[in-house]
Amino acid sequence: MKFARFCLSAVIFSFLIYPASAAAECGKVTLADMNWNSASLMANIDKYILRHGYGCDAELVPGDTQPTGTSMIEKGEPDIASELWSNSFTEALAKGVAEKRLRIAGKSLSDGGEEGFWVPKYMVDKDPSLATIEGIRKNAKLFKHPEDPDKSAFYGCPAGWNCQVTSGNLFRALKLADSGFDLVDPGSGAGLAGSIAKAYERKAPWFGYYWAPTGILGKYEMVKVDFGVGVDNEHWEKCISQADCRNPKVSMYPSSSVLTVTTERFASKAPEAYGYLTRRAFTNALMNKNLAWMEANQADGDVAMEHFLKNYEAVWSKWVSNDVRDKIKTALPK
Amino acid sequence: MAETSWLTEFPEMDRNSLIDLRKMFDAGYREFSRSYGDAIESFFDPLLVFLVWFEKLLIQSPWWAVLLVMTVLAYLGSRSIKLSLGVVAAFLLIGYFGMWDNTMRTMSIIMVSTLLSIALGIPIGILMSRSDRAQAVVKTVLDVMQTMPAFVYLIPVVMLLGIGKVPGVIAVVVYAIPPVIRLTNLGIRLVDQEVLEAATAYGASRWQRLVGVQLPLAMPNIMAGINQTIMMALAMVVIASMIGVKGLGQPVLKSITNQYFTMGLFNGLAIVALAIIFDRLSQACARRTQKHLGDVRGE
Repeated sequence: MKFARFCLSAVIFSFLIYPASAAAECGKVTLADMNWNSASLMANIDKYILRHGYGCDAELVPGDTQPTGTSMIEKGEPDIASELWSNSFTEALAKGVAEKRLRIAGKSLSDGGEEGFWVPKYMVDKDPSLATIEGIRKNAKLFKHPEDPDKSAFYGCPAGWNCQVTSGNLFRALKLADSGFDLVDPGSGAGLAGSIAKAYERKAPWFGYYWAPTGILGKYEMVKVDFGVGVDNEHWEKCISQADCRNPKVSMYPSSSVLTVTTERFASKAPEAYGYLTRRAFTNALMNKNLAWMEANQADGDVAMEHFLKNYEAVWSKWVSNDVRDKIKTALPK
Repeated sequence: MAETSWLTEFPEMDRNSLIDLRKMFDAGYREFSRSYGDAIESFFDPLLVFLVWFEKLLIQSPWWAVLLVMTVLAYLGSRSIKLSLGVVAAFLLIGYFGMWDNTMRTMSIIMVSTLLSIALGIPIGILMSRSDRAQAVVKTVLDVMQTMPAFVYLIPVVMLLGIGKVPGVIAVVVYAIPPVIRLTNLGIRLVDQEVLEAATAYGASRWQRLVGVQLPLAMPNIMAGINQTIMMALAMVVIASMIGVKGLGQPVLKSITNQYFTMGLFNGLAIVALAIIFDRLSQACARRTQKHLGDVRGE
């Protein structure tokens, strides 16, 4: 074992031989810190609990749904995605699980995430018909296109995101182009959020894709537009969530399962820490409260994590053993 | 808290006051954007109209007409058959691989941004060369503009003007204008003092000295600055597409997030092709206009 310290291959070898001892000290773990608040909060909480409760050398790495998911399947890195929106990543995820590369620890948002097309509440207050797609079509002229006075703007999902496929297909299914709408690509999450903020500050019309729970929807009250139909799960999976969907039909967004996903390596290496991840879940109400706090205090995931651990002990102590709870409580700054 | 804690830990501002400070500035900005946003937006309306018109012109004209105009411009600028043929080949390839429309969009925004940069940059550069104090101030501002991460100013701009072309052009100009300012300043400062004295001796006014002596002699440097400005504008294409500017940047973004390597490579290469065309064109053009300087420069 002396040699093992100096020789990389031996280290790997010893690690392969002694998975049990490695589990006790969980080792280096990377967590994807996604670039939206709820995921960042969750990743920070996981990092803190894994580090102080389970002795992991936990570290955050920047992430985003598609690149992180793909990298976890292909490279086994990062180890944990604390909040992965699975509903358009279904196929790859199922494949990863079947090939024993990924393991689904559980739901990070127990109610599931909510996606849809939204309009600001102040518009619906003025004209309740705008809460339905019919009303939107009739009043298309309200939603002025930023660049073309003859068209109306529908703010879609940024290029490359999963939701670009679904929102694009629904845009076609709803035949919004026939009512004069143009699908505007906001380019990035920041661009999309910025366009909402701009409209809201001036009480201007806005119509587009967004999702909850998010700080934006916590801060700016929006109403989900009713498409006048229910959720067609089967068609959703077969067509709307697929890039090559020929004839998309109208369906509301199914509530998407938002999962905690880990690599198989991590799950088998650190079963105790994995056990924590299977229990860790937020209800949307709890998450919204925390997101609103983050917005109000301009906190990032790091600060919000501390706020959460200090103020919601009743919630998180159910996720861990008493022993771990005490370790975390002593680690928390007073 | 030990009394010596500031020795081991940086005596940083209290977190709550820091947050209050941040919130105060944010609220101030929000207030500003609420009250002046519409006015500022309408100030930029002519620019938007022009941008939309120019893009439509490039996209809706038949491809061969655009190609012809570009080739003629290339030939007039450079008087080089080889370069002109290169331009034709590059555009044919771009069109063949289905990137024509996006290339036209990018070209229109780059051209407008470059023209705007030149129109703003050269006067600022001249001003800078006149006064050392102006030079010190402007240089610092330019340093900030070149190093400040684009998103820091992009998102406030989006809150003020929305997403799309105008904020895109602003972002590109902010990033691309420094070289033309710096090199105009440098070029004018490098003009021989004796030449200027001679001009004064002939009774040239300040304006005549500027237009007749300083600017022509500074031309090689100014042209180098313009050339760099064009290159930097092209480098901003992808960033600009993150706030909804259509063009070659969007497929690049899409391919980055989805790992469509070939698609990214094709669109990236189209940006490179545009860059090379503009670079060679502006250089050839600069060389031709400066032929008379051949003896002076010893080329």
